[in-house]
Amino acid sequence: MVANPGTRPTGSNFADFARTFWKKQGQNIMLPLIGVLVFLVVWQLLSSTGLTRLPGPLSLVTEQRTRELLLYPFYDLGGLDKGLFWQTMYSLGRVAKGYTAAAVVGIGLGILVGTNQTINKAVDPIFQFLRMIAPLAWVPISLIALQNVQQAAIFVIFITAVWPILINTTVGVQQIPQDYKNVARVLQISPRKYFFKVLIPSALPYIFTGLRIAIGLAWLAIIAAEIVMSGVIGIGFFIWNAYQNNYVSEVILAVFYIGAVGLLLDRAMAYLQRMILPEEQR
Amino acid sequence: MSTFVAVDQIDKVFPLSGGGSYVALKGIDLHIKKGEFISLIGHSGCGKSTLLNMIAGLDLPTEGIVTLEGKLVKRPGPDRMVVFQNYSLLPWMSVRENIALAVDEVLAALPKQERRQIVEQHIQMVGLQHAADKPPGQLSGGMKQRVAIARALATRPKLLLLDEPFGALDALTRGNLQEQLMKICEENEVTAVMVTHDVDEAVLLSDRIVMLTNGPASKIGGILEVDIPRPRKRMDVVSHPSYYSLRSELIYFLNQQKRIKKLRAKKTTAIARHGLEKVNLELGFVPLTACAPIAVAKEKGFFAKHGLDEVSLVRETSWRGVVDGIAGGYLDAAQMPAGMPVWLTAGGHQDQPLPMVSALTMTRNGNAVTLARKFYEQGVYSATDFKRLILETPGQRHTLGMVHPSSMHNLLLRYWLATSGIDPDHDVSLTTIPPAQMVADLKAGTIDGYCVGEPWNLRAAVEGTGFTVATDLEIWLGHPGKVLGVREDWAIAYPNTHIALIKALLEACQYCADEANHQEIQQILSAKAYVGTSVDYIKLGDPNTQTCSLDQPMREYAHHLFYGEGVNRPSRTEHLWMMTQMARWGDIPFPRNWLEILERVCRVGAFSTAARELGMVDIKYHRGPIQLFDGAKFDAEDPISYLNALSVKRDFSVAEVMLDSRRTAA
Repeated sequence: MVANPGTRPTGSNFADFARTFWKKQGQNIMLPLIGVLVFLVVWQLLSSTGLTRLPGPLSLVTEQRTRELLLYPFYDLGGLDKGLFWQTMYSLGRVAKGYTAAAVVGIGLGILVGTNQTINKAVDPIFQFLRMIAPLAWVPISLIALQNVQQAAIFVIFITAVWPILINTTVGVQQIPQDYKNVARVLQISPRKYFFKVLIPSALPYIFTGLRIAIGLAWLAIIAAEIVMSGVIGIGFFIWNAYQNNYVSEVILAVFYIGAVGLLLDRAMAYLQRMILPEEQR
Repeated sequence: MSTFVAVDQIDKVFPLSGGGSYVALKGIDLHIKKGEFISLIGHSGCGKSTLLNMIAGLDLPTEGIVTLEGKLVKRPGPDRMVVFQNYSLLPWMSVRENIALAVDEVLAALPKQERRQIVEQHIQMVGLQHAADKPPGQLSGGMKQRVAIARALATRPKLLLLDEPFGALDALTRGNLQEQLMKICEENEVTAVMVTHDVDEAVLLSDRIVMLTNGPASKIGGILEVDIPRPRKRMDVVSHPSYYSLRSELIYFLNQQKRIKKLRAKKTTAIARHGLEKVNLELGFVPLTACAPIAVAKEKGFFAKHGLDEVSLVRETSWRGVVDGIAGGYLDAAQMPAGMPVWLTAGGHQDQPLPMVSALTMTRNGNAVTLARKFYEQGVYSATDFKRLILETPGQRHTLGMVHPSSMHNLLLRYWLATSGIDPDHDVSLTTIPPAQMVADLKAGTIDGYCVGEPWNLRAAVEGTGFTVATDLEIWLGHPGKVLGVREDWAIAYPNTHIALIKALLEACQYCADEANHQEIQQILSAKAYVGTSVDYIKLGDPNTQTCSLDQPMREYAHHLFYGEGVNRPSRTEHLWMMTQMARWGDIPFPRNWLEILERVCRVGAFSTAARELGMVDIKYHRGPIQLFDGAKFDAEDPISYLNALSVKRDFSVAEVMLDSRRTAA
């Protein structure tokens, strides 16, 4: 079939487009939608039959307070009384700081450990030990050590996110193919050039894997950290506060936010990875 | 030209994780001239890549040194650029950037503009202008390897090292790239060392081919000079006369290595049984009609009858295989051309005297000289005619095939030619070819004639590609053909086994001589395990008239003698005659201690014991001088005067052959 757009009315053109799009993407869109819908309906039914005290998803709209929060995410009345968008942004800000620090330290240290077998042997047990400690366990330690809620929260993010980055970078550097190293040795490439032209590009896929795991962990950790550290603006503390006041549907709303943001962060990292890495390294 | 790269007495030992060590290379010595193309060939795991890496400096030898232009190689450097098997291109850079990375780093002294130019020029050289901006991931294997070669050459290395560069490519791409590489190397006078396992590739590209033996402790098993002129074209190379002999040499070497590996894995402990020291024998033979006694002894159970119930026959395609098997100690005994025991004892094989014992002559006669059909059409019916033809066509070089320097065929052919005034080394050229390959080579026109045992003369005549110009009748009727040969140390270690072996074969010879059995023996020999040819070509008695129809009038024919009066008993006079002939043509020096050698090689005593135990007391033998067709008498009393009296000969030398004292086998 030969398309001839010049003689066709635009309306039919659009319909054509919609049809082919639907043919290609229909399954990909419809099936997840149906899945979500079924999930919500079951949940609503469970709560309306009284099997659980948890309010159904409809309560997001029916509850007065929650509806306002849903409709006005950008309001700011000062203090802790802010719209959910701002709450999320504060949390994200903390994540950004902690995560950046984790990335810098993790990649830097990872390269050092990866290139030096001796250091690797010396520190590997420490790393393996520390990475097993849950984010929540770090909260009291960081509070005692730093004496500052803001900094402590960032530290918890950092310490949670740094391990996957560090370990993946180490592996990435260790896994540089011998062929590339041989090429560099034969050409007698300078260490600086080796670092930027061979080591980093070669280890990049591993580093990205680490970064992608870490971003998820960082986001998980911030919620946990904020719940424990009272008196900060952020979605984690918002949940805790809503729970204390028995605004259960607000908690549910905040949970939706958290899930959505986590999903977005992961997608963003995946996108970045795809943009930067050449095809055969993905 | 002086040495460019020198590899001196290199050993390489790898420590094993279990605590032991693995000797990969031992005593490698190699000198490479400037502009030479060298191939390293061997089976996988023989350490050829390790050797290349040590020349590159990527790996250091445990012992010994590598030098480039007199300077010690301690680390890798751009003057020894490597083309790796898996291309080793950086996937995050385009083709141009990959080459530029090397050029910028190695030729940093040049101005930027010039470096750009070099990069472009080399992209062009390998014909990749259209792909210069693509990352390697979008290129085919052949294109990637072209980039790798361009990258290597762009840095202007003194030495190009290629590690199986075309191993992962399809045949078509490989062929194209080989020609490109050859062109580039010739134009830029590159010195190169290439690791390969492809025999044809090695012959096509190399000036010299270094063959490595199997590990552990691999060493250089031999170096082949490829004398095919450059510039080479694939099709020209294939039709060059040296091509097939080089190729078969390489394949022989590789097969031999494989067999040695297998034999190493096999247990070789002697099994003593029935009062014999060793009943598990590996017995070598070459597929010829003359192998009939061995085949019969095996098939008709003569070996088992004499207690040798674990004899396995090893079918070698060439006499060289027999020599390597005996010298390497993985053949217990073998059927040999009559001159081989003396030849080995006098140091014909790698100048290492290897004392041999021969106590049985298994066949006589059965040889003939075959010439290509074209000579018949030109009226060549005798050696004199052949001489006339050579004089008439001075520009032409005639190549004749024979099977081994020490074989009767070589000696008889040379004698036949020399008696008619044809110098076998100057007027024609002689080349060594396995017996079974003669007919094919004659058909292909790479040789013009040959002297070989049956069935290969008969077959050429029947197929019409050649004709029998002389048989034993015209040269030496009743000459020894094949003998049984064992190492002296083996004979000393297993004396009773030796006698049993002689007895089994002597009985088999008797069986072969009985005309009633001929049809059966023909059937046995024509099987794949033995000669593997049509029954029609195998004649034990006189062939019928049609087989020699090219020859008019039909001459008499000297068929094989397997048993009879004076056939089987080893003769010192005959061995001495062969010794003088081999000395005459410069294959061995004439041993000053020829009496000692004859005494040690020719064991009449063992034969007599065997014959007596079989009750064959009435075997008579002929004593006295030997007389060949030209009437010249050979007297065993004074071989040196005989040698001096011959007109056509090489400058032979007389030397003491030092034999080690009779040692026993371990």
